[in-house]
Amino acid sequence: MTASPFEIEIPRGRVIEVQRDDTRVRRGGGLLRGMAVVWKHWKESFKLNRSYSQIHGTFTIEYPEERPRIPEAYRNMPILLYDDETGHELCTSCFQCERICPPQVIHMTQAKDPATGKPVPAVAEFIIEYDACMSCGFCAEVCPFDAIKMDHEFELSTDDHTQLTVHKEQLLRPISYYAKIAPTMWAEVRESALKKLQGNIRRRPDVIGLAPQLTEKIAARRAELAAQAAQAAAAAPVAPAAAPAPAEGRKLTPEEKAAKLAAIRAAKAAQAGESATPAEAAPATPSPTPAGEAAPPADKAAKLAAIRAANAAKKAAAGEAPATPPAAPDASAAETTPSAAPPSDKAARLAAIRAANAAKKAAAGEAPATPPATPAGGTAADAPADAPPAAPPSDKAARLAAIRAANAAKKQQSGDGS
Amino acid sequence: MLQTQELQVNIGPQHPSTHGVFRMLVTVDGETVVDLKPVFGYLHRNHEQIAEANSYLQNMPYTDRLDYFNSMANNHAYAMAVERLAGIEVPERAEYIRVLMVELTRILNHASAVGFMINDMGAWQTPLAFGMREREKILDLFEMASGARLMCNYFRFGGVVRDLPPEFIPNLRELLRALPAYIDELERLLRDNEILLQRAIGIGILPPEVALSYGVSGPVLRGSGIPYDVRKAEPYSVYDRFDFDVPVGKVGDVYDRFLVRIEEMRQSKRIIEQVLEQLPDAKGGHINPKARQNVRPPVGDAYARIESPKGELGFYLVSDGSTRPYRYKVRAPSFINLTPLADMCRGYKVADIVVILGSIDIVMGEVDR
Repeated sequence: MTASPFEIEIPRGRVIEVQRDDTRVRRGGGLLRGMAVVWKHWKESFKLNRSYSQIHGTFTIEYPEERPRIPEAYRNMPILLYDDETGHELCTSCFQCERICPPQVIHMTQAKDPATGKPVPAVAEFIIEYDACMSCGFCAEVCPFDAIKMDHEFELSTDDHTQLTVHKEQLLRPISYYAKIAPTMWAEVRESALKKLQGNIRRRPDVIGLAPQLTEKIAARRAELAAQAAQAAAAAPVAPAAAPAPAEGRKLTPEEKAAKLAAIRAAKAAQAGESATPAEAAPATPSPTPAGEAAPPADKAAKLAAIRAANAAKKAAAGEAPATPPAAPDASAAETTPSAAPPSDKAARLAAIRAANAAKKAAAGEAPATPPATPAGGTAADAPADAPPAAPPSDKAARLAAIRAANAAKKQQSGDGS
Repeated sequence: MLQTQELQVNIGPQHPSTHGVFRMLVTVDGETVVDLKPVFGYLHRNHEQIAEANSYLQNMPYTDRLDYFNSMANNHAYAMAVERLAGIEVPERAEYIRVLMVELTRILNHASAVGFMINDMGAWQTPLAFGMREREKILDLFEMASGARLMCNYFRFGGVVRDLPPEFIPNLRELLRALPAYIDELERLLRDNEILLQRAIGIGILPPEVALSYGVSGPVLRGSGIPYDVRKAEPYSVYDRFDFDVPVGKVGDVYDRFLVRIEEMRQSKRIIEQVLEQLPDAKGGHINPKARQNVRPPVGDAYARIESPKGELGFYLVSDGSTRPYRYKVRAPSFINLTPLADMCRGYKVADIVVILGSIDIVMGEVDR
C-alpha cells in the first residue's frame, strides 16, 4: 500500500507525499544546528517582539506592571449599565438574558410600582453567578436595551466564594465606563440605547430603577437641599431657594431619614408661608428636565399637590370660584408626579391626609370645586405623564389620590418592616 | 534459571504525558509493550445530554469546550449542522471569514501539536515554547474578532457574530509574512535533531488498512498514506474555491504524522492568502439578517462534517420541531483516532507510548465529552 513518491492531480490541488529524507541523519550535525536555533533565540530574547511579522525576540508581558492591550470585543463577565446623568439603570427586566444564558446563572426579579403594585420596566434584584458564568456573551447580544455588556475586568480572584455571586449593586457601572472600554461598540448602539432609556424612564416611577451607587450621594445632597428649602421658606419664601431643588433632586431616592425629616420640616414651613408655593413651583417646574420625564422628588410634588388641593378645596368651600391661579402650577405638579407619587415617606402620608381632609371639606362645603379642576385636567392631559394627575383639586380625584397615597404609604411601611 | 513475566502497568489517569485524564492499561514484558488498553471516560461531562436540554443557540458555547484548541472549527461544524437542519443561507463574506478562522485554527493546532509531541519525546518545554509562540499571536487575532482567545463562540447560524475589526487584516498580513520562516524553524527542530529522529522514525506505524478499518481521519490517516481530506472529498463552505494540496505520508509512523502536520500548516497559509484575495467587502454582511438565532428547525435530521485540524468532526442533529435538538451527537476525531492506539503501540517500548500518543494529537475534552 505504501507507494513510491507520487503526486496526483486532484481538483484545485495535488496529493503530495512528504519528503522523509531519512538519510539526512547527520551524525551530530543536526544537534548542533538545533542548538544554533536555540542560541539565536536566546540572543534575540534581549530584544522585544512587538510585531506580528517578527519571529524572534521576547514578547512576554511583565504582567502586573505592564498590562496587555485588551481589544474592544474582549468579553469577560457581564455588567449592568446605568445612565451617568440621571442614575437610571438601562435594564428593564425583560428576562431575555435570563432565558438565553446557557449555564443559567442570571436571576432577576422585576420591580413593582410601590403605589399600584404593578410591575414596571425596571429590575428589583439582579444576580449573576460569576463562578458559573461561561463568558459566552449571549446576554449582551440579546439585550434589546443594551443594558448588559461584557466587562474587560479580569482580576476577579477572591478568597471568598460567595463574593462570586454578584448582585446588582456590584454589577452596575456607569455608561461612561463602558464607553471608555469599548468606544466604537458603544458608539454603534448609543443613540438607540439612550432613546430606549428615556422611554423606559417615562414608564416607571421616579424612584424605581435608580442605581444604588448614587444613593448615598443623592441622599446627602437631598438633605442639604431640603434643609435649604426649609430655611428659605421659614425666613423669606422666595423662588431661588427652592428652584434648584427639583433640578438636582431628580436623581434622589427618598430613603434617607434625614431627607425625610427635612422634607417634613420644609412642608411645615411651606404651610406657614403658604403664599410662596405657587411662586416657588412656577419657575421650578418648566426649567429643569430637558427630557421632560424626570420628576422632582416625589414627596415634594405630592406635598405641593396636596397643599394646592387643600387650598383649592378651601377656596371652593368659601365660594371663591376663580381658583385658576393655583390650578396652573397644579397641572405642572401633576406632570412632574407621573404616577400617583411613590410616597414612601412621611411627607407623602401627610400630604395624603391633608388631601383627604380637603376633599372632606369640599364635599361638606359645596360643589363648585369643579371649575378649578377643569383647567388643571386640561393641562394635565397634554402632560407626558401616563399616570393620572396626582391630585387635581376636584373632590373625587383628591379622594382617590388620598386613598392611593395612603395605600402606598401602608405598603411602604409593610415593605420596610419585612 | 532466568525467566520473564508479563506485568500490567497503569499509565495515567493523572500523568503529565497523557494530555488530560486518560489511563492506559499497559501489559509489558520488560520494556516491550505486549498489549495496551486505553481507558477513558474520566472527563465525561454529559455533553450530549446537556445539549439536548439546551436550545440550539445555547449549544454554541458548549461546542467550544469540546476541543478547546479548535473552538472555531467546532463552531463551524455545529453551525453547519444547524444551518442544514433549518435551511439557513450564509452570506459569502461570512463563509470566507469562517474559512479564514478555521485555517488559522489549523495552524495553531498543528503548531502546538508538534510542540507537545516534541515535548513528549523529552525535549522538555523549549520546543513547546516555540510551538506556542505563533499560537499566541493567532489567539490575539481571535480575541480581536471574537472577544475570547480560546472559547471563541464566534459563529452564529447564518454567519459570524460580528465582522472583522479594522485592525484584524493588517495584523493578519504581518503574521502571514512571518509564518513561513516560523514553520521552517519549527520543522528544523525535529528534522535536524538526531535524537528526536531516532525516537520518531519507524515508531508507532499505523498501516493504512488498519487505519481505514478503525475509521481514523485527519493527519493520522493522511500520515498513513491515504489522501483523504473532507475539504477535498466533500467540499463544504467555500473550500472548492481554493488551491491547496493534500500531503500524505509514506510509512505511517510518528515522523510521517509530524511531516504531514508541518505541510498542512503551509497549505493553510496558502488558503488564508487566497481568502484575503477573494474576501468580499463588508457590504455583503457578516451574517444573514433573516436568520433567526432562536431556531426552530422542521422535523428531520442533519449531519455536517468538516475537516477539523484533528480529523473529521461531525455533528449529527435530530429535530422534533422544537427549539431543542432531540438528539445531538458528536463524531469526535480525537476519540476515533485514539482507538487504534493498541495496534500502534504493540511491540514498541514503554517510552514510545508517550510519543505515539503525542503524535495522534488528542484533546481529552473531545474524547470524553
